[in-house]
Amino acid sequence: MSSTKETKLAIFTVISELLEDKSLEVTDEMPLIGSKSVLDSMRLVELCLALEDKASEMGFEFDWTSDAAMSRSRSMFRTAGSLADEFISQMEAQQ
Amino acid sequence: MIVVTGASRGLGRAICDRLIQKNIDVFGLARNVDGVPFPAVSCDVSSYESVKAVAQQLKKDGVKVTGLINAAGIASMNLAVITPQSVSQKIINTNLLGTIYCCQLIAPLIIRNKHGVIINFSTIAVALGLKGESIYAASKAGVEGFTRSFAREMADFNVRVNCIAPGPIDTSLLKGITAEQIHKIVSQQIIPKQFAPDSVADLVELLIDSRSDSLSGQVLHVGGV
Repeated sequence: MSSTKETKLAIFTVISELLEDKSLEVTDEMPLIGSKSVLDSMRLVELCLALEDKASEMGFEFDWTSDAAMSRSRSMFRTAGSLADEFISQMEAQQ
Repeated sequence: MIVVTGASRGLGRAICDRLIQKNIDVFGLARNVDGVPFPAVSCDVSSYESVKAVAQQLKKDGVKVTGLINAAGIASMNLAVITPQSVSQKIINTNLLGTIYCCQLIAPLIIRNKHGVIINFSTIAVALGLKGESIYAASKAGVEGFTRSFAREMADFNVRVNCIAPGPIDTSLLKGITAEQIHKIVSQQIIPKQFAPDSVADLVELLIDSRSDSLSGQVLHVGGV
């Protein structure tokens, strides 16, 4: 399993690859849903699939639809940081 | 491979048989798959966890899913005011939530191919507002609404989502409905005759064919209304 820092970087890289504007830097506060989102709905779904694959590579299952994930943070997709937190949380829970 | 729910009998089974006849791989889901002569697994579509387990297994096995046909459904003809709560819940859970769960959980497998087809099932009871079928019609009206919106969500991924709304097709779902009642419904169709499961299978074949690439978000009425 990767360290938390490495995992977060890997998630930000996945997000970065999906950005239309490649000059944007992925930060914790970068919104992934809502009017200021940097991703359209299509890319958001592609992000989910990419993270699902990334989790498989890392030996765990990433669930982007779980009630627990939604209730902890209202939506894990609020920001790049909240998504990374949830991804890491699910990774640690399955270790 | 096309995933078909309600695959053990009725329309679902007729659709599976037709697809297999056309050399299309099918994977059936049904509550009871005993004796089903093609790849199938037991699954209660009204259970999110049950459908999720199937989706996870398909992904784990590396199955290329190109389509989903949501044929699982139940009916209970009764006046709404004398329908027990448990029956109402069962109808909504199976017909509406079952369709939604399967779409939610199987669609991500289809999306990966950037091409695919989803077919949901409604009923003539929605368009005609049939007396004694209000809860059943409500569950299927939900399926139609879901289909129209979900089709837009899936269009980004070149996945078409349509809905077939048959009249009274001769299957076990019609158990308990008299010939007179069937005639009364059929007479309200544009083509006033009772169609067989084969006609629905024809429509399924048409919808999964690339010649239907321009069709999505549509509700197709067998017999016309």
